[in-house]
Amino acid sequence: MTGKAQAHSAAMASAWGARARLGLGMALRHRSIRVGGVLFGFVVLLAVFADLIAPFDPNKNNFRALLSAPDAVNIFGTDAFGRDILSRVIHGTRLSLLVGLLVVVATGVLGVILGTLTGYLRWLDGPVMRVMDGLMAFPGILLAIALAAVLGPSVANAALALTITFTPRTARIVRSSVLVLKEMPYVEAARACGASHTRLVLKHILPNALPPLIVQLTFVFSISILAEAVLSFMGVGPPPPTPSLGNIIAEGRSYIQEAPWVALTPGIAIAMSVLGLNIIGDGLRDTLDPRLRNL
Amino acid sequence: MRDRQSGKSTSVLGRAIAVAAAMLGFAATSGSAQVAGGELVLAQSANPPSLDAMTSSSESARNINMNIFEALVAIDENVDPIPMLAKSIEASDDLLTYVFPLREGVLFHNGKEMTAEDVKASLERYREMGATRGMLDKVKEIEITGPYEVTFHMSEATPTFIEGFSSPRAPAVIIPAEEAAKPANEIEIIGTGPFRFVEFVPDDHVTLERFDGYVPNEDFQGATGFGGKKTAYLDRAIYRIIPEAGARVAALEAGEVQWADQIPVPAAKRMMSDETLNVYEARQWAFMTFIMNWNLPPTDDVNFRRAVLYAIEPEEVMAIATEGFYDLNHGWQYPGRTYNAGDIGKEIYETAHPDKAREFLAQSDYAGEEFLILTDPNYAEHSRAAVVLAGQLNAIGINAVVKQHDWATVLKIRHSDEGWNGWTLMQGLEPFLGPYGMAAKMTGDKTHMRGTDPVFDEAYDRLITGKTVQDRQQAFADIQTAIYDLVPQIKLGDVGRMQAGSARLKGFRPFRAPRLNDIWLED
Amino acid sequence: MTRYIFSRALSAIPVLFVVSLVTFLLMWLVPGDVASHIAGPDATEAELEAIRQRLQLDQPLHVQALHWYANLLRGDLGQSYLLHRPVLDAVVERLPVTLSLACMSLVLAVSFGVLLGVLAATKHDTWVDQVTMTGALLGLSLPDFWFGLVLIFFFAVGMGWFPTGGYTPFAESPLGWLRSMTLPAVTLAITQMGVIARMVRSSMLEQLGQDYIRTARAKGMPRGLVVFKHALRNALIPVITLVGIMTGLLLGGTVVIEVVYSLPGVGRLIIGAIQSRDYPIVQGGLLMTAAIFVFVNIAVDILYTIVDPRVRHDR
Repeated sequence: MTGKAQAHSAAMASAWGARARLGLGMALRHRSIRVGGVLFGFVVLLAVFADLIAPFDPNKNNFRALLSAPDAVNIFGTDAFGRDILSRVIHGTRLSLLVGLLVVVATGVLGVILGTLTGYLRWLDGPVMRVMDGLMAFPGILLAIALAAVLGPSVANAALALTITFTPRTARIVRSSVLVLKEMPYVEAARACGASHTRLVLKHILPNALPPLIVQLTFVFSISILAEAVLSFMGVGPPPPTPSLGNIIAEGRSYIQEAPWVALTPGIAIAMSVLGLNIIGDGLRDTLDPRLRNL
Repeated sequence: MRDRQSGKSTSVLGRAIAVAAAMLGFAATSGSAQVAGGELVLAQSANPPSLDAMTSSSESARNINMNIFEALVAIDENVDPIPMLAKSIEASDDLLTYVFPLREGVLFHNGKEMTAEDVKASLERYREMGATRGMLDKVKEIEITGPYEVTFHMSEATPTFIEGFSSPRAPAVIIPAEEAAKPANEIEIIGTGPFRFVEFVPDDHVTLERFDGYVPNEDFQGATGFGGKKTAYLDRAIYRIIPEAGARVAALEAGEVQWADQIPVPAAKRMMSDETLNVYEARQWAFMTFIMNWNLPPTDDVNFRRAVLYAIEPEEVMAIATEGFYDLNHGWQYPGRTYNAGDIGKEIYETAHPDKAREFLAQSDYAGEEFLILTDPNYAEHSRAAVVLAGQLNAIGINAVVKQHDWATVLKIRHSDEGWNGWTLMQGLEPFLGPYGMAAKMTGDKTHMRGTDPVFDEAYDRLITGKTVQDRQQAFADIQTAIYDLVPQIKLGDVGRMQAGSARLKGFRPFRAPRLNDIWLED
Repeated sequence: MTRYIFSRALSAIPVLFVVSLVTFLLMWLVPGDVASHIAGPDATEAELEAIRQRLQLDQPLHVQALHWYANLLRGDLGQSYLLHRPVLDAVVERLPVTLSLACMSLVLAVSFGVLLGVLAATKHDTWVDQVTMTGALLGLSLPDFWFGLVLIFFFAVGMGWFPTGGYTPFAESPLGWLRSMTLPAVTLAITQMGVIARMVRSSMLEQLGQDYIRTARAKGMPRGLVVFKHALRNALIPVITLVGIMTGLLLGGTVVIEVVYSLPGVGRLIIGAIQSRDYPIVQGGLLMTAAIFVFVNIAVDILYTIVDPRVRHDR
């Protein structure tokens, strides 16, 4: 899971160094971003307007219609509680995106703080980066499962476990940008003109460190959606009856032969969300980081 | 202090002896001829935490251990005690001594013959580290009274002693004396059973092999329960550890295993139409219960607990929790069993009484605080029951919240007064073994509900020491009445267990653990 | 060079120290303990306390930690509470399963990934490129455990071509081993194949645009030869880095696959130990997996400097 992040970000970190400006207009003209945007936008709409779109209450049981096949009423069938799968998947999408968003925000904030401090302050670099290296040496999903087991199952804790897992690499990417940027002539010039450290960081370094961070966070988003599903599958995700996409698959996996609709539908929803995000991420990387255009 | 007059030979013991004397036994299933040889692959969901049978009360250990080890006393098919390694059970009239003459010529898997030395050493070890060593609490001394005889000296007469002693929960098995000297979980796996241990690869499989030196108990005509005259036909048995229910089903259908435990009900229903498979329905497998914590508000308030009891609609809970394989049963004993207390509580149980529930809620001090339902994902039935219960309680205005933790955490939390109000738990062996285990969980200092009421203590005492069956039945009826009044636990229903096997597997009958003896594979 | 290797190897020590400390703290913080797992749901508080004493769990954290580190320095990872054997043995005996799975999926992923990457690069901006790259991206986007379930459903249950799960050791039956590993390895390879295909493609495109390729083409070398002899060889250099990253991905990815396919690997050992609170296994298992990851990455770094000496001067 995190290996994907590792693959992406290592490729980016190793080649990173250019100063690319965030150009929203350019980004929107990019074909991948449009394709990914449509795909992911659809998922976001489902999530935002879940209450309006979902035909039924996702937690309404019906013990007279357990695991019933898709029909005119429940177009994707029902689960082992007799709940409407479509409604649960729509609400589950909301939760999965919420977890993803929480992780992205938390990882972004922590990554910027840790990355900037370590990139800027020499004495802090060694100890903090050793801890980050240590965390990165764990197989990501194992660390997340262990953390989730320690924290106990809840939406917030799942997000926290994933944040701890994904922050080190994000911090590393910010740090490597900061290391390059602080040696840039224009930063040295600003320093020579007497700019304070705070001003240097906020005005001159961070804005230019953003593009690779944004690309990285897109992938953190998509990996978090996948990882939430894994946590739920392993029984340490958001607790029942919360409809999360991972929970629905986990509950449906015993009936893959008798009621395949239970596990298949949320799997497709996950694949759609993640695919959309990945396509957007590719497009962002093309526009924001020309050196990696072909990747 | 033998007092012949005060101790009449009463029925529990009387029955044990009668059974021993009559030597009832089920003949092996008739019909087709048995085939010797072959390898049976079984699928179960979890690793045995230990193959040191005395120390583990887990089902996944029992499934294997009951074929390797034997005890002095076993249970028969009707859950009555019968002698197993003991030749008979001879109790004094005052119930203060029990003499166990041993069967002679019984061999351990290492080829040594079992003697009184081994029996004493094993039971002393059990008193020290047995998982349910409480059953030997009333044994003052175990004395070797002959090369093939041990005598128990009791500190107090306990009419139900032999029933407790025969429990397969964590059986008081007999192992060689030199093994009995070893610490928990460090023994060589050597027993007297019809199968001997070969290897255990955790998360993969446990292999057993027929023990050709097995000495069957000729006092019986056939195998019964965990005892009787056992005959091993299979050469080998391999227990594969397959946690995923879907994978167990798939493995069975692909012919990779010939028997699988814990089959999801929808899959079992589908398999019923498959002629190459047999589905075994073990109807009375466990009680689904909802345990209350008496020490944490709001469940410290009896009226609040009554509100919970009256708000529950058991049919919905059971239908969903068990995937549709259940029996509605208000009783705290299975129907047809000796201690079943009839209709007590039936009317309260049968359906939800929302109006009465709200009435009780109004009488309580409840002010909208969270009602924490503790549950775990490791047993899907627990988790599903918790979800449905939360929905039903929310409907009458109780702020029920499902708190799901993994099993290890649940076991920790329920030992404290904090963090839970209700706990969904399937109780399997206790109701299977009779009234004592169930009643014991509501009296003394180790109750499920973390408190007790004198009415339970008093009734439990009568249940244990009552001289006649009628006395004890009355005691249990009083307990059931109190349960529906004080609500230490709520009975939700009886849970069934689906098992399935290849049609080639013959002679199999579901019991508390799969028995490898007296079953065989047809070609 | 020797100095470089030495200093890289030394750099592993603080990392592994952090790993061990984190696992230790995690297990200290986790609620529930192994005692209740051993004793079962009916245990009394006194029985649990007895088990905790026997396992020395009643000692304060720093005593336990010192004890653990002292043993670690002697190469002793401790004794499992539940498996009744040394942690080292328990982990090592699981390695063949996890390594079989990891290696087989690595072989699958690299061979198909490189093939698809080259194909996409040589057919740059055609429908072939688009289809392969969309496929690669889709592979990256599938939840692997879910994809595993789907594969079991179709190829094990439906077609009956492969077993539904379980592991056959190679020594027991090479064919059985291959059959038992195929579906898990394919499941795991799908995501990595996408990563490799994308990387190879971009690396190839970069090389194909270089002057030496144009020169070779201008000199009249056949296109196939240029692509495979020159461009691919140089394009694969950055892919070496990927092997290091891939190790992390494999060690993480195998966990879920082992659960889905009932394989007795290291990942399932650790997961089971987390659930049953078998702390020594969790600590030792995580430390060993992290060590494998760290040392493979060091080896990759060193290999990289040998293959591409420019890198060393950059550092």
